[in-house]
Amino acid sequence: MLLVLLTESALFVLIAAAVLAERPVALAATGAAILAGLAATRFVTPLRTALGRAFERHHATALVGGAAGALALPLALSASPYWTFVATLALLYVTIGQGLNFQIGTAGVLNLAGAAFAGLGGYTVGLLTVSAGWPSWLAVLVGPLVAVTVGAVLFVPILKTRGHYLALVTIAFVFIFNILMNNLEFTGGPQGIKNIPTLQLAGYPFTTKPTVFGIGLPAHANFYYAALLMAALTTWIIRRLYDSWLGLALNTLRDDEIAAKCCGISITRGKLVAFSIGNFFIGLGGAFYAVMVGFVSPPDFDFGYSLVMLSVIIIGGVDSIPGVILGACLLVPLPERFRFLHEYRLLLYGVVIVVMLLYRPQGLWPAKVRRYR
Amino acid sequence: MPPLELLLQQAFNGLMLGVMYALIAVGFTLFFGVLDVIHFSHGDIFMLGAFAGLSVLAGLHAAGIGGGAVALALAFLASILITGLVGVAAERVCVKPLARSSPLMTLLATLSLGLVIRESVLIFYPRGADPKRFPQLLPQGGFELGGVAVRYENLAILAIGFCAMVAVDLIINRTRMGAAIRAVAQDPEAAQMMGVNLDRTVDATFFIGSGLAAVAGLLSGLYYGEVHFIMGITGGVIGFSAAAIGGLGNVYGAIVGGLLFGMLQTTSAALIPRGSEFRDVVAFAVVMLFLIFRPSGILGEKSVERV
Amino acid sequence: MSALLETRGLTVRFGGLVALDAVDVAVDGGETLGVIGPNGSGKTTFFNALTGLYAAAAGDIRFEGRNLVGLDAHVISRLGMARTFQASRLCLGLSVFDNVLIGMHARRRSGLADLVVRRARFLAEIRDAIERAAHLLALFNRELPARGFEPVGQLPQIDRRRVEICRALASEPRLLLLDEPSAGMSPEETAELMKDLQIVREEMPGLSVIIIEHDMFVIEGVSQRVVAFNYGRKIAEGSFAAVAANAEVREAYLGRETARA
Repeated sequence: MLLVLLTESALFVLIAAAVLAERPVALAATGAAILAGLAATRFVTPLRTALGRAFERHHATALVGGAAGALALPLALSASPYWTFVATLALLYVTIGQGLNFQIGTAGVLNLAGAAFAGLGGYTVGLLTVSAGWPSWLAVLVGPLVAVTVGAVLFVPILKTRGHYLALVTIAFVFIFNILMNNLEFTGGPQGIKNIPTLQLAGYPFTTKPTVFGIGLPAHANFYYAALLMAALTTWIIRRLYDSWLGLALNTLRDDEIAAKCCGISITRGKLVAFSIGNFFIGLGGAFYAVMVGFVSPPDFDFGYSLVMLSVIIIGGVDSIPGVILGACLLVPLPERFRFLHEYRLLLYGVVIVVMLLYRPQGLWPAKVRRYR
Repeated sequence: MPPLELLLQQAFNGLMLGVMYALIAVGFTLFFGVLDVIHFSHGDIFMLGAFAGLSVLAGLHAAGIGGGAVALALAFLASILITGLVGVAAERVCVKPLARSSPLMTLLATLSLGLVIRESVLIFYPRGADPKRFPQLLPQGGFELGGVAVRYENLAILAIGFCAMVAVDLIINRTRMGAAIRAVAQDPEAAQMMGVNLDRTVDATFFIGSGLAAVAGLLSGLYYGEVHFIMGITGGVIGFSAAAIGGLGNVYGAIVGGLLFGMLQTTSAALIPRGSEFRDVVAFAVVMLFLIFRPSGILGEKSVERV
Repeated sequence: MSALLETRGLTVRFGGLVALDAVDVAVDGGETLGVIGPNGSGKTTFFNALTGLYAAAAGDIRFEGRNLVGLDAHVISRLGMARTFQASRLCLGLSVFDNVLIGMHARRRSGLADLVVRRARFLAEIRDAIERAAHLLALFNRELPARGFEPVGQLPQIDRRRVEICRALASEPRLLLLDEPSAGMSPEETAELMKDLQIVREEMPGLSVIIIEHDMFVIEGVSQRVVAFNYGRKIAEGSFAAVAANAEVREAYLGRETARA
């Protein structure tokens, strides 16, 4: 148990240092420490097995430790509103990623329109709050429902056909969505919708700067904690769905439709359920994004973002719930940290995905066998 | 209701667009026939062809071989060669190795490869983010035929496209490699037992398909007068849709699908208010509707699954 | 007594090709029917028509009095018919238990809410299901349940066949369709398979079985009645001995004897 807590504390320190280190000495030291740690866990076998066993046995402690780390992160980042924002963005991609992974990884439903469904959530929030005066928290709950409904209505007929047609249709849909948002009057055209009011819960506006344990945090930390709660709930729900009759049925449907049919699984219904559940969480991410940033515009939800969402899933491992978390936590902050790579960001995503698919298709944190816990 | 001449004009324009789409669609359909894969980066290969042609033309211009037919012919040849080779490289690196695993993997890999190609052009081509002017190398001027303006440019595009399609038809139906391609498309194992070299055949297929895309890319540059690094996305989606509509695996279907698509785009742009902005929406919406109601296409997709 | 399963004039066409030609077959409760015939004679097509994977162009399929023609495959499988496949269709990446549990999918009682919130109820149900799966697996190979959480792709061929049979049995069917279970097996494995089929007969005496086989030894050992197909038509029916002696059946397998020199 001590080993688990020690490892997690070390990780926390390394992450904080990696994010915040500015001076060359600190940077070098952090880099060296990370490399040493990776090498040790990869190549020193007794260490690897010891860690593996420790984390397996003390599952609950690991989770609690992880939660504590996530809760404490804004404290470490208190001096940097920018990095608090990036961390929150990573959490958003966890939420979206779990939804998308449930569709593509678990059920084999090839949804390439993630950006459009997130956009449906975001634009719904924008329209409801700015044009109709709804409170933000309510709009954020309705956004995902719109995403689900649109998905169900438009895609039920296609779900019956073969996988690559669905992929094509979803690509077409992202473009239609983008063009429509850009050209329709009521969606604000190329400017989008501005001045979306921030979240306000029980009279507490999210623009206030909170103080935790006497440490003043940037206002953005409010969104961080809300996003953390959202990501945690999403992961919890998806995990339970995966580790159940539904997850098993969807996996079977994905691997062998004919066998699934002969076990009594309705292919259309299964795909629709997976598609809808996934779209809910993708739309939720988009809706939250709208209140967090305060505006939505067409370029925020274009096809490129669908590909970013895909990379998050692939890097961690398709159909792997912890993989999504790892993928989001790696893929979102890294380009921000290595600013000079920013221009090459998408190119690197593409290369990394191809390399991963060729040499480690199961991802960095592959899913383990279903245990129904 | 716009006058007949306008509709005819649009139909004629549509024919030209259609020729370009058809050339891309044939590639998609060939790849599906031979390897059972959807090569999602084919659209970006089309874009690469256009840029390769542009670069060659720029090089020729700098070297003083500026004008007309010679430069154009060289550009076509060079672009076909370059793009064909890149297509084969793409197939060797990322399509064939994954062809046996789940279709999801191939989809993700080719999608990402497309992203890599697109971003590479954006980053490494000087000022890649801007649309680039494509030189006007086709004969100018034209004549009128029954109220429709027919420009020599357009005729040239149609002629080149038509030649490309005839060339492909000849290759597929009259050469040994073409026979090999058809054999592999029908039954890879039987073909191999007949002595067909699977690897070489797949390579050849990808060379031909990518070469066609290069021709389409150059035609697109000549037609619009410009090329843009994102042209591959719409080109790819429409090309794939056209191939799907014609029935994946069916070369004639792909051609018909491409032509239909081109005419659909131009006539809808004429008929719908603010049509040109929503042109792509209409195209995509039609794709969606078509796939909903007739996913096996007009001329039928080759289907495989044995129970 | 009306038969458990009865087809009348069952016809399946693929375009111009007639894969099944007016086939009349009946199976009673508790009976094991063998189906033989050369390759391409329509045996698997027959199974596919029964299970709803292929649409019948003409004719009737009655199962426990119900007409199955026109029903979707997933609906039919919930009515008490289960099958295995010629090329085994297991989800190789999933665990052994998962591959058996999916057979119980139609009989689950937990709803969506139970999966997320009232989890205890679902966990109790799944624990029972895993025990049932373990029991089924142990019938054939007592070491299988211990490997229950391993990916099924790691098992040897014969155990994978057994897992597929367990998946079919897990749905508590009244009719079991076995499609060439001994395909690709050595003589030793085939002998094991025969024992497995015997165990099935003992554990579930009321279960009717239709078994497609090329191995005549297996057919003779397990079937009470045999039906022979050729070119999509039923050409013989009766005891194994009678069918084996039937001239048309012999011709289908061995060809016609030409004039001796």
